[in-house]
Amino acid sequence: MGGVLGMIRRILIGATLLLSACSSGTEEAPLQLQVFNSTRDLIRARISSGQEVERPPLRRSDLDPLEGSYLEASIERRDILAYLFVNVDLDDDYPGRLRVWRTDDNVTLTMRNGVLVSTRGLGDDLLSSRVQVSGTRPGPSSGGEHVQYIRTAEYDSLQMSFACELVDLGPETIVIVERKHATRHLQQRCTGPSGEFVNDYWADSGAGLIWQSRQWAGPGIGYMRFRRLTNQ
Amino acid sequence: MKARKARTTARRVARRLGVALAAALLPATMTAAQEGAGLDAAARTTANLPEPSFKPLPTPSLNFYGSPGLIDMPSAEMMPDGQFTTTLSYFGGQGRYTLTFQALPWLSASFRYNSIRNWNLGGFPTYYDRGFDVRFRLLEETRNRPEITLGLQDFAGTGIYAGEYIVATKNFETPALGTSRLPGRLKLTAGIGWGRLGSYNSIASYGTRPAFNPGNTGGQLSYDQWFRGPFAFFGGVEWQANEDWAFKLEYSSDDYVVETQTTSVFQKKSPVNFGVEYQATKRTRLGAYYMYGSEFGLSAQFQLNPSQPTTPMRLAAPQPIRPRPSFDAAPEIWTLAWTDSVNAPAQLNQNLVALMEPDGLILHSLKLEPHAAELRFSNTRFNTYPVAIGRVARAMARALPGSIETFRIVPVERGMGLSAVTIRRSDLEALEFAPDASDAILSVAGIGNAGATPESARLNPDLYPDFSWSLAPYFSPAYFDPKNPVLIDVGVAANATYKPAPGWVISGTLRQRLAGNLEDGRVSPSLLPPVRTDQALYAQYSTTINQLYAARYWQPRDDLYARASVGYFEYGYGGLSTELLWKPVNSRLGLGVEVNYAMKRDYDQMLGFQDYRIVTGHASAYMDFDNGIYGQVDVGRYLAGDYGATFTLDRVFDNGWSVGGFFTVTTASAQEFGEGSFDKGIRFSIPLSWFTGQPSRKSLGTTIRPIQRDGGARMHVPGRLYGQVRDAHAKALKDQWAGFWE
Repeated sequence: MGGVLGMIRRILIGATLLLSACSSGTEEAPLQLQVFNSTRDLIRARISSGQEVERPPLRRSDLDPLEGSYLEASIERRDILAYLFVNVDLDDDYPGRLRVWRTDDNVTLTMRNGVLVSTRGLGDDLLSSRVQVSGTRPGPSSGGEHVQYIRTAEYDSLQMSFACELVDLGPETIVIVERKHATRHLQQRCTGPSGEFVNDYWADSGAGLIWQSRQWAGPGIGYMRFRRLTNQ
Repeated sequence: MKARKARTTARRVARRLGVALAAALLPATMTAAQEGAGLDAAARTTANLPEPSFKPLPTPSLNFYGSPGLIDMPSAEMMPDGQFTTTLSYFGGQGRYTLTFQALPWLSASFRYNSIRNWNLGGFPTYYDRGFDVRFRLLEETRNRPEITLGLQDFAGTGIYAGEYIVATKNFETPALGTSRLPGRLKLTAGIGWGRLGSYNSIASYGTRPAFNPGNTGGQLSYDQWFRGPFAFFGGVEWQANEDWAFKLEYSSDDYVVETQTTSVFQKKSPVNFGVEYQATKRTRLGAYYMYGSEFGLSAQFQLNPSQPTTPMRLAAPQPIRPRPSFDAAPEIWTLAWTDSVNAPAQLNQNLVALMEPDGLILHSLKLEPHAAELRFSNTRFNTYPVAIGRVARAMARALPGSIETFRIVPVERGMGLSAVTIRRSDLEALEFAPDASDAILSVAGIGNAGATPESARLNPDLYPDFSWSLAPYFSPAYFDPKNPVLIDVGVAANATYKPAPGWVISGTLRQRLAGNLEDGRVSPSLLPPVRTDQALYAQYSTTINQLYAARYWQPRDDLYARASVGYFEYGYGGLSTELLWKPVNSRLGLGVEVNYAMKRDYDQMLGFQDYRIVTGHASAYMDFDNGIYGQVDVGRYLAGDYGATFTLDRVFDNGWSVGGFFTVTTASAQEFGEGSFDKGIRFSIPLSWFTGQPSRKSLGTTIRPIQRDGGARMHVPGRLYGQVRDAHAKALKDQWAGFWE
C-alpha cells in the first residue's frame, strides 16, 4: 500500500470510525467516548451561544390567559433568566409552606413562605437552609439565625451561618409587567464570619405572597431575583 | 394523572412564555424603567458589601523546577492543599517538565522529566533524566515570622539536579497601582543550599559529597549525601505588582558546574537572573526571563485544584418526594390490598424501571413485603453512590404502595451486593427540606451488610442475559523512551460485554491501531526475564485482541468478595486469576489475596501464548486513613519470579480526584533491575465530571513510571475487587452523603 495513500485511507477510516463512536447497553460508555461526546456538546454550545437570542418583551396580555402561578427568576452573576411553574406545594414539620418551582430543563427552586431554601440543577447548589418563617406570613418573620448548607466542589455540605436583622422599610408600590402591587418592603441584613448579604422582599400580606425579591443563594450562585408574574 | 396533566400544561405555557433556562443565556436586563426599579436599587445597596465567597487565596508562582519559588531558586511557600501543577520551563538548551502535587498542607512532591541539549557526555548528545523532589514546611508564616521550608531536590540517586535547601520567605503588602486595583505583594526569599544549590560562592563545607555520575543507575535514596559538601546562600525578591503582572529578581547559588565546565551546554556569566510573569488565566501563568547573564528563559505554569472544577457539577433536579396523605385522609392508599394482586410485583417492577432508567440506574431485583421493600440496583452514571441511592429512594417513594414503610437499598456491582442503606419512608417525607437535610437523613439511615439476594426477591426479568457494546477511540501512551519522551498509539476499540446471569461477565475488546509510534520504542536488555521491557515487540501489530475473558464474581459469605477470571487480560498476559477480598462495610481495613497463573501472550496478541508461564500472587492490605489518605501494601511474587512488596499511598478527594505514588522492592537486585534500581511511579486520576460538570463514573488518569523495567511487575487483571467495593462502603457513603438529596 502506498505510504501517503495508505495514510490518507487510514485517516479516513479512523475519522469515520471516530465520528460513529457509540455504545449501547447497561455498561457505562467508555471514557474516550464520553470525552468525545462532551467535547462535541461543548462545541455545539459555544456555536449556539454566539447567536444572540432576543427575548420577547413580556406583556400582561400574554400573561392574562395563563392558569396557574408563574415565577420569573434570574441569576445576576450569570445573567440568565427563566420562567418557572409550580412543581408541587408541600407541608412538612417545619414552619411555613413549601413551594417547589421548576423550569422546563429541570432546575428547581424551593421557597418556604417565599424565602429561598434550596436550589437544584444550577451547580454549586444551595442544598438546604434554616430560615425564620412563621405560619402563612410571607417572607422572613423575624431576624435571627439564617443558615445555608452549600454543596462544595468536594461533594461536602458546607454550613454557612449568618446573624440577620429584619427591617421593615415601609409600604412600596411596585410594578410587575404593567401591573401595580401594593407591598411592604422587608430587608433582611445578614452577617457571618465569611461576609455579608442583604435580601430584599416585597411582601403582600393580604394576598399572602412575596411579589418580588432579591435573595442571596450562596457563594457559587450569588444573588437571584424573583418576580411573581401571576397569582392563581 | 391529574397532576401530570397540570404539569404538561404548565410546561407548554412555560415554553410559550419564552423558554426555560436551557435556552439560557438570555440577557436578563429589565424592560420598562419602572419595572424592577426596587430590585436594581437593592442590587446597588449590596454592590460594596463583602459577599461571602469561596475564592481561594492567591497561589504562589512556580520556579523552573515546578516548585513554589523565584526563577531557578525555590521559595518557602506552600501551595493550597491538593494543588496539582504542571510546569514547563526552558533556558540554555535545558527543558524541564514537572508535575507537582501538594499532598498535604505541609508537604508537596514533584516528579520531573528533563532534557539537556549539547550534553555530549557518556555517548548522549542530549541527556534525559527523571527525578523526584519533596518539600516539607517547617514553620508557617505569621505576622512576625517568615515561612520556613526544607526541600530535597532530585533526592533519589546521584541525580543531575540533586540539591537540598532550607529557605525562608516573608510576604509584604505593597500599595495598589491605581484606584481600581488590588494591593500588590512583595515576597522576600533567602535560603541556604547544598549540592547543586551550594555550588556557587559557597561559604563553607560539611562532610563529603560524591560528584555527579551520569552512569549511575540511580533510584536509591542518597540520604548519606543530603546536606553534605559545600553550602551557599541564595535569595531573591518577587513583586506581584497587581493581579496580572509580577517581577522576579534572584541571586542563584547554582554554578552549573557540569553544564558549563565539564561540557558546554551554555555559558554562565552572572549569578543574577531576572524576569517578568503574566497571569494569563486563572490557571495559567507565563514567564520570560534573562538567565545567568547569557540566556533567555521561558516558563509556563498550569495549576489545578480538586476543589475548583473547571465546570461546577450540574445534576438535573429530581422530583420532590410527595408525602403520603394521612390514614384518615386517604385510607385506601395504606391498605394491603395490593399484596393480593398477582400482577402487583411485575407492575411495580415496571414502574420503578421507568423512574430509574432516565438516571442511568438499573434495577436488578425487588423484594416486596407488606411493610418493607428491598431494591438492588447498579449505577452507571453518578460519580458517588449517595446521589444514586437518593434517587432510588425517591423512585421507591413514588412508585411503591403506601403501606411499605422501610426501604432497603442495595448498590450492586457485578452481581455482588456491596452494602445496604436502610431508610424509613416517613423520614424521607419529613426531611427533604429540613434545615440540614443531608445530615438529618444520614442520622436516621442505617448502613450495613447487603447479604445475599433474598430467595423471595424478584429479579428484573428484562436484565439477563445482558449485552452491551461500544465502539470508541483509544489512546495508548508510553513515557520516557530514550529517544522520544512520549510514544503514543491511537486507534479504535470495539468492546462487547455479555452478562448471562448475575455475577457473570464475558467481555472482549478488539483494537485497530490507526496511527502511532509505540512500535519505535526501545527493547532494552534485561537480566531478568523480559516480562515488560519487550512491550515494543507487542506494539508492532495493528489489529489485536486487547482483552477477551470470562469472569465470575460472588460473595462466599458476608464481608467476603470473590472473583475468578480466565482469558486474555491485557496486551502481554492471559491465564487464570483468582481473588478473595475481606472488607466489612463499616471497616476501614480490607485484606485480600490474589493468585494468578500468568501466561505470556504471543506478540501478535491473537489467541496464542509463548512459553513463559508463571504463578504470581499477592496478599494485600488496604487501609483507609481518615484524612483522604489511602494506603496499600501488597506482598508476594511478581511476574519475573521476584518476591517482594509494593507500597502505595494515594490522596483521594471526595469528588474522586486521586493522586498517589508507589514503589516496589523485590528480591531482584538493583543490578538485575537495571536503571532506576527498583520499580516506582506516580499515578493520578481526575473524574471526567470535574471537567464537564456532567455526571459520569469515568476518570482520566495514568500511571507514570520513570522507567519500566522487569522487576516488581504485575499482570493487569480487569475488575479487581477493592476499587469496586470501597466506593459503596460506609466511609465513602458518609464522606459523600451531601449528594443524597441532589
